Order: sequence, then structure tokens, then C-alpha cells
Amino acid sequence: MIRIALLEELDPADLTFLTRSLYRAFGLGTEVAGHRPQPAHAERKDGRLDALALLRAAAPVRAFADDKVLYVTTAPLSLPPGPLGEPPCWGFAEYGKDRALVSTARLPARGLSEASVEAHRRRLAREAIHAIGHLWDLHHCVDARCPMHPSWSPHLPASPEMDLCAFCREKSERKIRLAKT
Amino acid sequence: MRGPSSRHPDEPREQLPPVEGFVSDANDLAPGVRVVYPNQGVCTVEGTEEKDIAGQKLQLVRMRREEDGAVVLVPRAKVPTVGLRRVATGDQIQGVFHYLAAQSDDPELDWKVRHRDNADRLVGGGVLGLAEVVKGLHSLSRLRPLPNKEREQYDNARHLLVHEVAVALGVPPGVAEDYIDYVLVPPAGVKFDVPPPPAPVMLPSRPRRHRPAPAEEESDIADLGLSDLGLDLDLDGAVAAPGEATEGGEAAAAGRDDEAVEGGAAEAGEGAEAGEPPPRPRAAPARAARGKPAGKAASSKPARKAPATAPKRAAKAAREKPARKAAAKAPPRRGGKKK
Repeated sequence: MIRIALLEELDPADLTFLTRSLYRAFGLGTEVAGHRPQPAHAERKDGRLDALALLRAAAPVRAFADDKVLYVTTAPLSLPPGPLGEPPCWGFAEYGKDRALVSTARLPARGLSEASVEAHRRRLAREAIHAIGHLWDLHHCVDARCPMHPSWSPHLPASPEMDLCAFCREKSERKIRLAKT
Repeated sequence: MRGPSSRHPDEPREQLPPVEGFVSDANDLAPGVRVVYPNQGVCTVEGTEEKDIAGQKLQLVRMRREEDGAVVLVPRAKVPTVGLRRVATGDQIQGVFHYLAAQSDDPELDWKVRHRDNADRLVGGGVLGLAEVVKGLHSLSRLRPLPNKEREQYDNARHLLVHEVAVALGVPPGVAEDYIDYVLVPPAGVKFDVPPPPAPVMLPSRPRRHRPAPAEEESDIADLGLSDLGLDLDLDGAVAAPGEATEGGEAAAAGRDDEAVEGGAAEAGEGAEAGEPPPRPRAAPARAARGKPAGKAASSKPARKAPATAPKRAAKAAREKPARKAAAKAPPRRGGKKK
């Protein structure tokens, strides 16, 4: 089961699209677990939230074994700088564990037109699938059409797909089958 | 460090220089030390224990894989040969990132060589070997989709690299993977000005495949073991060079065909010498059946028609039988008639 916890308000239609997309991608039931307060001390000096600290401090969601919890926020996130700089952060997941975080801050503007709303929703769904995929032990994929491809890649198609590639799908299905519950 | 196992029993094992941090002595494995087991990942040494295995008392080093808690036991005597090494240092990790950020070479296009080299890099190449596999297969995937086997190898290498970088830098694996891909697939407009990457991992030199000399090749082809099968065929004409495939060769082949039919009495190439190859006896029965004289065919027709009903019945029965059998073997339907 995938449980979505909202750290900030999200449009109900976007949320419905997100739950449907996650269900389609992983074949797991997806439900909204309500709102949780955004931890204040995760904020950094530059106004962004530290993704690691935020996920660590986020209020827990009641879940059973093998349930995955996805926190959604609209605040911009940051990661600790690496050896060659700080990678852009669209979300963060504890690899192989049960909590992930995704932000809408870097998504294309939602706008008012149908096309822009659709693009926003699709990108949000893609990033959510990416984060949940990490929770099911998936690594970044070489296929630019797969949601597991790095989010900042210049090879990313303009309208990203929401179906995992064959390799990632098989791997995630194997992991889900082997799950305890 | 010992190189990878030789491909042939007669081939001596190649001695390669050990990778940095290589553990050659079991005494270095004190409890709490973190080591990397090739193809397994980062493990923590828990201690030494003695086990009775097949009547032998073995001193084993007990390690626990950090990723999932699996226990790995290595005999103390085998510690120098399994390729254990210490977790990469900060300098090594810097070198890995410089390597990943550097301009990539053209990938090896021969899949056999590539797969073997990558397997060697994974086992004995250290953290830089992992990075080489990831970068090599990643750049290849830009040219064409990776085959399934190599996709798995890529995924394994990436998994090992991500975990080692995560342990070395003290960050969660998700962040370590972002670091790696930030360098490997930089966002548009980002360029890295990095020092030259470290020297590539040394791989064992592979002996070139022995190509037999033409004379040797001929003798090999001649010795196909046909004599064991009771066949006495002359293959001299058959192994002619591609450029020498002439009419004479074809004729010779036709002559051999005749010879085989005639019980091997005729000499090879007899038909070619005669100029006109005789009619092929092998095709004759079929042709005879098709082109029989009209009278004969007419006379044989009634005789054939008379027993024709029996085969028809048999054929009908054969058609029905499998269906009946299938019906008998079919599993009972769900929710069928209850007894």
C-alpha cells in the first residue's frame, strides 16, 4: 500500500491523478493519509528545506509492514553538496526503506490552461513514481523515457512517461512479490 | 593480489598489482573494520569463529553485509585470495568522481570482450573498477539499448558503487546516487572543470585466440570423426576456398553424390569427367512416382482405391482421439457438478 501524506495543500484533482498513476505504475493500492505539519527546523538559511532533515522529522503516518509513505510538499528542497557540487533536488527517498519525499517546487508551473495543468500533473506523477521506485530498490535508469531516469537529465522527453521501463518494472514487481505482506 | 582465475587449466594465473586498500592478511580484520567484499558490497567484520565443516576445523572470519545484514563467512586462509579491500578513502572517491566527469572514451563494441573485462573490473578493480563499468555501460546505452545481461551487470555495478560511495561519504545511498548521476548525466548548462582522472584499472591480458594455419585447418576439417560413423567421404572438394567455388567443384560434388548412391564403388568426380552427370538416383523414386506411364497408373488406381477407406477411418479416428484424450485429461471445471 502506498500512503500519500500532504505537508501542504494540493489540488484534489491533482491528488486523484497522482493516486491513479501510482496505482498503475506499481499495482499497489494508493490512498491519501491526510495532512501532516511541515517540520519547521528543516529550513535552511537560503529558504529551502533540507530534504534529509525534513524526511527525518516528518510526522509519522500509520502504516503496516511494506507500506510506503510519500510526503508531498510545495517547498523547494536541497541536498548536502557532493564532491562536485549540489545536485538539483526534486525529491528524496530512503533507498529500500519506507519513506519518500517529493516537492512540486521544480515542476512546470501549473498555470490555468488544460495543457499546462496536464503537464504539471504528469511531471508530479513521474517524480512520485521515481521516489517510490527508490523505496522498492530501483536505481536510476539509463532509459530516458523511464520515470527512474534522473530528473535533471537533458535527455528527458518534454512530456515524460509514467510507465516504468521493462527492466525497472520487472525488478519492482519481483521486490513487491518478495515483500513480507 | 592474485588476478582472476585463468580461463584454461594450463594457463598460468596472472599476477596483477593489488588495488588500493587490499586486505592481504586475515589479522587486519579486527571486529568493527569495514571492508568491501567483491560483488557483495560493504561488510562489517564481526569476529572470528571456528566451525567443523566436512570433518575439518576451519577458522572463519565472520562478516555482516551492511545493506541487508546477510552473514558472510570467509576461511582465514582464503582472505588474501577473495579480494577483500578496505572501503574507499576520500581521495579514491574524488578520483572516481573525476573519472565519471571526464570525457568518456568510445565504448568497447565487442560484447564478449566488454562483458569479460567488466566482470574482471567488478571483481578486482576496486571502486574505480566499479565506476569504469558504470560509465562504460552508461555511454554504451547512449548508442544503443543494453542487452538484458549487460543491463543487469550495469545495475549490479551501480548498486555496489552507490553503496560504497554512500559509506565513504557518510550520506544515505539515495543522495550518493544523485551525486553520481549529477556527474554522469549533468543538467543542461553544467560543466565540470576537473583534474585528469586516475589511471584506469589494469586488466589481465587476454591471450589472442589461436587461429589455426590453413593446412592445420584442413586437417581439422578432414578429421570430423566420420570414419567412426562408418562414412567414407572425400571432403577435398568441399573445403575449397570461397574463391575457388567453381563449376568443377560443383560437378565433383555431384559425382560424390552418385558415388554414395552407388555404394562407393565409383570413383569421386566420375560424373564430372564424363561431362554429363548421370540422373540422380536419389530423386528418381519421387520422379518415378509422379511421372508414371498412364496405363500403369490406371491399372494401379483401383488397387489403391480399395484399401483407401481403411486409412480414412484410421485418420478420422486419429483426429478424434486426441480430442477425446484431451477431454479425458482436462482438469475438472471449477464449480462443476457436486457429488
